[in-house]
Amino acid sequence: MATSDTALSPGLALPPLTDEDTARSEDRTRVHDARVHRKRWRLLRLLVGPGILAMLGENDGPSMIAYASDGAEYGLGFFVPFIPLLFAMAFVCQEMCMRIGAVTHRGYGELVLQRYGKVWGWFGAGDLTLTNFVTLIAEFVAIRVGLAYFDLGSGVAVALGLTLVLFTLSGGRYWRWERIVLGMALFNGLFLVAAILVKPDVGDLVGALDFTPFPGGSFNTLLLLLASTIGATVTPWMIFFQQSASADKGMTPSDIKHGRYDSGIGAALAAIFGIGALVAGAALLTHNGAGIEGFAGAGFPEALKSVAGSAAGTVFALGLIEAGGVAILTISASTAYAAGECVGVSHSFNNSPRNAGVFYAANVGIALLAAVVILIPGAPLLSIALNANILATVLLPVSLVLMVMLANDKGLMGPWANRRVTNVIGITVIAFVGICGAAYGIDSFLLSTHVITG
Amino acid sequence: MNPQTPPIEDPELAAAIAERDPRRPERPEDQLVMHLERDQLVAETSRPVPPAELSARVRAGLWALRVFVLLVSAMVIYTFFYELH
Repeated sequence: MATSDTALSPGLALPPLTDEDTARSEDRTRVHDARVHRKRWRLLRLLVGPGILAMLGENDGPSMIAYASDGAEYGLGFFVPFIPLLFAMAFVCQEMCMRIGAVTHRGYGELVLQRYGKVWGWFGAGDLTLTNFVTLIAEFVAIRVGLAYFDLGSGVAVALGLTLVLFTLSGGRYWRWERIVLGMALFNGLFLVAAILVKPDVGDLVGALDFTPFPGGSFNTLLLLLASTIGATVTPWMIFFQQSASADKGMTPSDIKHGRYDSGIGAALAAIFGIGALVAGAALLTHNGAGIEGFAGAGFPEALKSVAGSAAGTVFALGLIEAGGVAILTISASTAYAAGECVGVSHSFNNSPRNAGVFYAANVGIALLAAVVILIPGAPLLSIALNANILATVLLPVSLVLMVMLANDKGLMGPWANRRVTNVIGITVIAFVGICGAAYGIDSFLLSTHVITG
Repeated sequence: MNPQTPPIEDPELAAAIAERDPRRPERPEDQLVMHLERDQLVAETSRPVPPAELSARVRAGLWALRVFVLLVSAMVIYTFFYELH
């Protein structure tokens, strides 16, 4: 810890320092030393984290099953280029969050609350809590699907998920939490291994890059496909998480370049692993893959086993357990950040449970509630899981609009405010997400009320 | 301020931007306390930022967005319960 380089000018009084400041300063000392000694790789290693976690956290259980379902039902065409395109959109959004967090040192929830008023602040937090709760249920279901391959049930899934949450929270340090979850998140690469094990035709993969063949089916099916795939890539929790985590990590404007690398690496890995799940699913295309729909696809690992061997089934099942586990950690963390920021109390992994009770209680509480739901006999888990991504897509424009407003707020961001090109891309992303989500919502509503017929 | 950006007419905004200019030599938030910038200390981040002054057009746009999202969410939730049956 470097207490010797306190460099305040004599005229400025030193504000009181907290344990949180001290913990964060230890991390910043390592960054400072790496920068001074020009250790580039060490500097990169120290500064990556929030971006990779947000991107790989979004390659969660429901998303990977959605990609595999797309592959099983429609094959590789359209989705091979569409998934990287969506992660490019996610990069634009996440880069903004990282930049706002690094410049303002504040989370998304508290900035919205303080800058745009309580109504928007609580609206955003409510929107986040609802989508996070639904998504967390889906994550526990994904773990259960993976464990079912090894003949283990819901109780084990719940115990595993909650143990992970409690274990990662036990250190009282952001750095420790981040490194453990980052280590786990890299096992998202299991989906790439699964793709290699099904021995795909490289020619088919390259041939799919022209966005064809376009998925067939009804208009509503196409909208569902677009909305759920977008919801599998860009979500409200990622926005809350990356901005708050960047601030909690102690990032500053001088780290923005490395923050971009972090988000870029995360987006690239997530796109590659997402395509891995798609390719693994596509192996089932000619083996009644379309029959293994969504979460009814508890049979995915088993089906892969029968088509591509037990190794492929086992790796896919392990991948689902990993994807669900990591997402439980990151999504619970985003809920905790939002709760602490909106209530106006301490919200940092660098603080102890005694000093940041709301933060830790929200982190464990939302995971616990979701776990309880999957233990309820007869709960409509399939419908909940399928609708989680859709709901996230519908609610996403609010978070995105406020994020772009913050990133353009020159009073907050100064010279780090958005450039025109970033705004053009950001607004295009918002329009695309908004139109897809709204079109699906309206079309499904009209179908269910029989105003139109499918 | 970046010389390529157009001049800011609002004097308060211009002052706020100048305050955060990284080339300004004596920016208080750049002063380090145990390798933390002054404005990232808990004591500093606990102080709320002032509310933004939104134009009537922006406020109307935000209200329209709020109504739009609530309506579409209601449709999705209705469809969810409809499909359950």
